[in-house]
Amino acid sequence: MNPHALLATVAALVLLPAQAADMNKVLRVALNAPETGFDPAKVSDLYSSTVTENIFDPLVTYDYLARPAKLIPNTVSALPSISADGKVYTFRLKPGIFFAADPAFKGKKRELTAADYAYSIKRHLDPGIHSPWSFLVDGRFVGGNELVKAAGKGALNYDAPLEGIKVLDKYTLQLTLTETNFNFLPILAMPAFGAVAREVIKAHRDNTNAHPVGTGPYLLKEWKPGSRIVLEANPGFRKLVFNATPGSDPLDKAVVQALQGKTLPQVGRIEISVIEEEQPLWLSFLNRQLDISGIPQVALQSALVIDPKNPLKVRLAESYARQGIQLQRQLLPEITFHFFNMQDPVVGGDSKDKIALRRAIAMSFPVSEAIASIRRGQAVPMNYIVPPGVAGHNPAFRGAPKYDPAAANALLDRFGYRVGADGYRTRPDGKPLAIELACGTSSTDKQWNEYWQKTFDTLKIRLGFRQGKWNELSKANHQGKLQMWGMAWGADYPDGENFMQLLYGRNAGDSNAADFKNADYDRLFEASLKLPHGPQRNQLYDAMNKIAVAQQPWIFGDIRMRSTLAHSYVKGLKLHPLLNTSWRYLDLQK
Amino acid sequence: MLAYIVRRVWQMVPTLFGVMLLLFVLFNWVGGDPSYILAGKNLSAEALAGIRQQLGLDLPLPQQFLIFVRQVLTLDFGTSWSTQQPVSALLHSRIGPSLLLTGSMLLLGTVLAIAIAALVAYRRGSLTDRLVTLIATCAMSVSALVYIIAGQYWLAFKGGWFPIMGWSDSTLDNLLHYLPLPLLLGVIVGLAPDIRFYRSCFVEELGHDYVRTARAKGLSEPVIMLKHVLRNAMIPVVTSLMMSLPYLMMGAMLLETFFGIPGMGKEVVMAVERSDFPVIKAITIYIALATMLFNLLTDIVYKLIDPRVQLH
Repeated sequence: MNPHALLATVAALVLLPAQAADMNKVLRVALNAPETGFDPAKVSDLYSSTVTENIFDPLVTYDYLARPAKLIPNTVSALPSISADGKVYTFRLKPGIFFAADPAFKGKKRELTAADYAYSIKRHLDPGIHSPWSFLVDGRFVGGNELVKAAGKGALNYDAPLEGIKVLDKYTLQLTLTETNFNFLPILAMPAFGAVAREVIKAHRDNTNAHPVGTGPYLLKEWKPGSRIVLEANPGFRKLVFNATPGSDPLDKAVVQALQGKTLPQVGRIEISVIEEEQPLWLSFLNRQLDISGIPQVALQSALVIDPKNPLKVRLAESYARQGIQLQRQLLPEITFHFFNMQDPVVGGDSKDKIALRRAIAMSFPVSEAIASIRRGQAVPMNYIVPPGVAGHNPAFRGAPKYDPAAANALLDRFGYRVGADGYRTRPDGKPLAIELACGTSSTDKQWNEYWQKTFDTLKIRLGFRQGKWNELSKANHQGKLQMWGMAWGADYPDGENFMQLLYGRNAGDSNAADFKNADYDRLFEASLKLPHGPQRNQLYDAMNKIAVAQQPWIFGDIRMRSTLAHSYVKGLKLHPLLNTSWRYLDLQK
Repeated sequence: MLAYIVRRVWQMVPTLFGVMLLLFVLFNWVGGDPSYILAGKNLSAEALAGIRQQLGLDLPLPQQFLIFVRQVLTLDFGTSWSTQQPVSALLHSRIGPSLLLTGSMLLLGTVLAIAIAALVAYRRGSLTDRLVTLIATCAMSVSALVYIIAGQYWLAFKGGWFPIMGWSDSTLDNLLHYLPLPLLLGVIVGLAPDIRFYRSCFVEELGHDYVRTARAKGLSEPVIMLKHVLRNAMIPVVTSLMMSLPYLMMGAMLLETFFGIPGMGKEVVMAVERSDFPVIKAITIYIALATMLFNLLTDIVYKLIDPRVQLH
């Protein structure tokens, strides 16, 4: 789709609060894991962000219909002006946007100002908050490091002048970065960077997770942690009228038909249940106790008619289609991979024999077979560090080695991994060769393990499994005690930098779980940071991918396909690759 | 009696201390490091150290244990590490749904199990007895998960007799709509082992001389069963019941998860998955206290049921 054809998904804003939502329209949805809270500077899990996204307003957001995802102004009158050197971002807020009512405002209407965004961004720097998103802002703003250093282990001095985050006037915010970065804006579209009011945070400082007060379309009405969340339309939400021109996607037409000219949000109440088990989730949807749902793994075969020759070509099963149930599908902006501990004496290092060992394992893992069996075909093999739908992806690049166990065995033979009398290979120095793979304890993990066992059996290498909870394994990895482990990384923002940094040497021991350190890769990565998204940066990304392929710190995994169902009366639904929900755009016509 | 109670309460102190020590050692040994969960994607050494400092995990272990002792003495376990909600408020909101479910299950299950057990014990060796014993044995060999999955599918989804899942703020609404199916399934799961256990208690009592004497005296069978046998068979039954009472607080994890009941079972699982030590500590200590108190209560009830029992 030509993004320019969709240019006009423009929300006409008339800044008068107007409650358009029908409180009798109740949307019932589910989260399939418990949330943790609703303080945008304290939570990072998907489930909490799903809720905060509807309560807080970031400066910029995404066009609902445009694909690939396109940033548009949210609480600002236009996208920010960016200085020629890519360091200074200046935002001009729309006047007349108000926070939802809270006792902290002492009965007065509280307008959103540039100072609120300055405060909200600084909270991510505050050592007293331990924001899980601090890695996105650490060292980014001029003077930021000094301010954090001055705070020590205490609270940040929010009133101290900070050159990098400056309020020029009531409605103007200026962010000055330490380094050139033309790709910083998507970070500010994340729910984590929505505006909070300082007096609300102060009033509820002991429990900010339970008192989210924002300027977004919904407010928190009820919260039973891990069980039920109820949102209600914010009566003070600014008037936001849906006014868009459909693009070439047929879905756009239906969305525009359902919403054009309507004031958002239309749904007055959203009831969110936490349903972790697949059966109750699925049956609740079929029974119309839920309006929208994903398709649990166990129900994929019955809900979808999957083309055996091309499992990604699917249609809804006849019995569901007859009920008018809608099916929408989307490749997730994420990657899954298994990494090697590059500092490990057996699997790590950059000598040719170590690279050969890693390559042989990668060549022997049947990714496609595992996708067909475990994912029921609902995923595609990963071939590039940046996934499709994220700026910087190269669809022509084939990073995953061809599945060829015979060649893999030959490779091991060539580099001295000989098969001993016991039928297993030894290391080139004659020492026994055994590799331990870390894994979770779920039934899906066990399914993956069967394929790994098969892979290592094919190569005649002893394999052990180290099972554990995620945090235990993560700690062990930090201590350098793991050899191999599988991970997934979802886009925090739709820019390749969010993925390419996973192998950046300075992130070793942090997001660079493989502890991969390669001077060429680091040099290219640092150069890419100074470039806007475009062919020049893509060239650097290709070169970095080639290094990753040559060194093989990862075994590329897959990219999952998300299937979502909605009942016929749910109008206006279009899955977005980065917005967690479409709730504010939905209407229910029962 | 009072001296006995005082002595038993006094004995609870070292027991509780032992529980605390064991829990503390276990958490620090195998409980997992919560800082890796709370850090999200930000796994830098500084971020992890900051979180550990905030949680007090950087303090020397003896100091951490002393904080735990103070929490137990004040019954104030602070706030949950994962949600930052006060632990007392979390447990307060969870205990009601759990007790409503597990309490109803215990009550209904016990009444039914005792009635059926008494009936089949009275008709020991008959076809009814053998049939019930056979069904109970088969029923016990089926996993609780199967009952729940099948019950939810057939009775709620296919039959449409119950909602698939859900919970309300209204107790009446819960009793009328949301509780019946999980209650029914919970009772079915627990019925078979209870029937077999209670039957054996009744059968044992029915074989005693006093039953033959009562019959010889011309007492009616209902009088023999209800007045004499039932009372004497009650000691093991009461033991079993009293021992299960503290665990009512724990809720029924599977039922709560499948039927969306916001009870303690779900909270326990979440706390363990997230290494949320304050919540784990609070639940463990409350269960330990309840177990000790109900053990004491059981001994006192023995004395009330059977005056021959001496408490030392």
